Amino acid sequence: MSRKNILEIILGVLVISFVFPPYTYAYLDPGTGSYIIQLLVAGLLGAAFVIKTQWNHIVQFFKGLFGKESDDQQHEA
Amino acid sequence: MTNSTKPEPQHVAGSFRDPNGFMFRREGQLYRQVNRQYREHYERLMESGLYESLVNKGLLIPHKEVSLSLAVTGEAYKVLRPTQVPFISHPYEWSFSQLQDAALLTLRVQQRALEAGMVLKDASAYNVQFWEGRPVLIDTLSFETYREGEPWVAYRQFCQHFLAPLALMSYVDVRLSELLRVHLDGIPLDLTSRLLPARTRLNFALATHIHWHAKAQRRYAGEAIQAARPPRKMSRTAFLGLMDNLSGTVRKLKWQPQGTEWESYYEITNYSDAAFQAKRELVAAFLAQINPRPRLAWDLGANTGVFSRVAAEQGLLTISWDIDPAAVEKHYRALRAQGETRILPLLVDLTNPSPALGWAHTERASLLDRAPADVTLALALIHHLAISNNLPLPKLARFFRQTGRFLIIEFVPKRDSQVQKLLASREDIFPHYTQEDFERAFATAFTIRAGESIPETERTLYLMEAK
Repeated sequence: MSRKNILEIILGVLVISFVFPPYTYAYLDPGTGSYIIQLLVAGLLGAAFVIKTQWNHIVQFFKGLFGKESDDQQHEA
Repeated sequence: MTNSTKPEPQHVAGSFRDPNGFMFRREGQLYRQVNRQYREHYERLMESGLYESLVNKGLLIPHKEVSLSLAVTGEAYKVLRPTQVPFISHPYEWSFSQLQDAALLTLRVQQRALEAGMVLKDASAYNVQFWEGRPVLIDTLSFETYREGEPWVAYRQFCQHFLAPLALMSYVDVRLSELLRVHLDGIPLDLTSRLLPARTRLNFALATHIHWHAKAQRRYAGEAIQAARPPRKMSRTAFLGLMDNLSGTVRKLKWQPQGTEWESYYEITNYSDAAFQAKRELVAAFLAQINPRPRLAWDLGANTGVFSRVAAEQGLLTISWDIDPAAVEKHYRALRAQGETRILPLLVDLTNPSPALGWAHTERASLLDRAPADVTLALALIHHLAISNNLPLPKLARFFRQTGRFLIIEFVPKRDSQVQKLLASREDIFPHYTQEDFERAFATAFTIRAGESIPETERTLYLMEAK
């Protein structure tokens, strides 16, 4: 293994440990597959959540404009 | 910190996995030891206002901090005395809506925790109990400080303990909740994925949280998280999105109680209205005679709980056991709508009741481990056990002797039309199913305090006291 390869590996490990969240101590095994699928879908669900809350704001705005009282106001998180 | 002058503590059997602390008893009183390693998280829970807000909303069991001298080991940082839930039930004893409410409680707690910079480090259905008619989180040590970027460590557990059984009950068969009895850490997702109908793959939430999730588990089995190269951090918004999606998914799962054997039981009984009312009054009178005043009743074969209500009206906490998921579901919904807090409906098959489960048979208590009640109600039940299930009367007497000190039991003789129905399709091999044999069998375990005929019926109601 060349010195360049070793350097690449060390660099790779450093990048991974800084970029990715630390795998913290937890008594529960999160499961690698569960961890990965979560990361994959959560971005999408996060975007959907933002759109949903924004949409609710728009709906509330127009309801307010037309003087309608809302009975199920959503709180923005 | 062990103090040798204090009575010996007893560990609570189901509480050993989390190194942050454990439950124990001293002189019957329940305590929770919090270990030093949990200090940072406990302080945040208490000081951020999260504990107070959760307790005020009835989402978390309250506790009091007590003297550290009560601690069991030297790792203790605090000793807590939690409010004791009067009856511990297991998720495989819950109806569909009970499990759904427990799932929503877990997510509600999680959402509030996030607002306070904390997160649930586990999502076990066993951390939820029914207290005063509502689900409540009983594990004070479930919270840890939220670190931006980290995914939810309990996501897998939430899917296995809540989403998988609810989806199976909703899409396949309500009886699949029984799988929770076999799989104590929730129903495996690969099994759930195989059992769910193909159309659930078109439902985005179930496709991701169950089907793809199961695939990902298989794909990355045995691989370390770092080696699997997780794609990125999970932002707070993404975390909130995941919680919101899980909450919506759980809410959308439905099950209507219908089509089961006992669903319309009360509509097909042979009681006239007057006889039904007389029976109600007789049960009430027998309950009132019991001395000392009972506090806990078990109504066995309670159906939708008409007679449980008689006990509850006298101030008894009443556990309403029934074999039929539809009856338990209807009962729970009715109680929830009425705000009735003294009755807890639960599922049980008395001919194969909840056994002692888990590590060394001690993690999850059996039905009889949780006995005795002060009084057992066994109304319109004995013929189902003795005739449909071939259970000899002396065995029944011994069983009821274990379930409660007092027993209010209805004897239904062979000439009763309901017993005739049970015998219609089979040979009568029960020459010993007579009132005399019943009294003789039960007199070995009980003193018969009273026996009254129920007007307009062939039946007799007894009040008995254990010998």
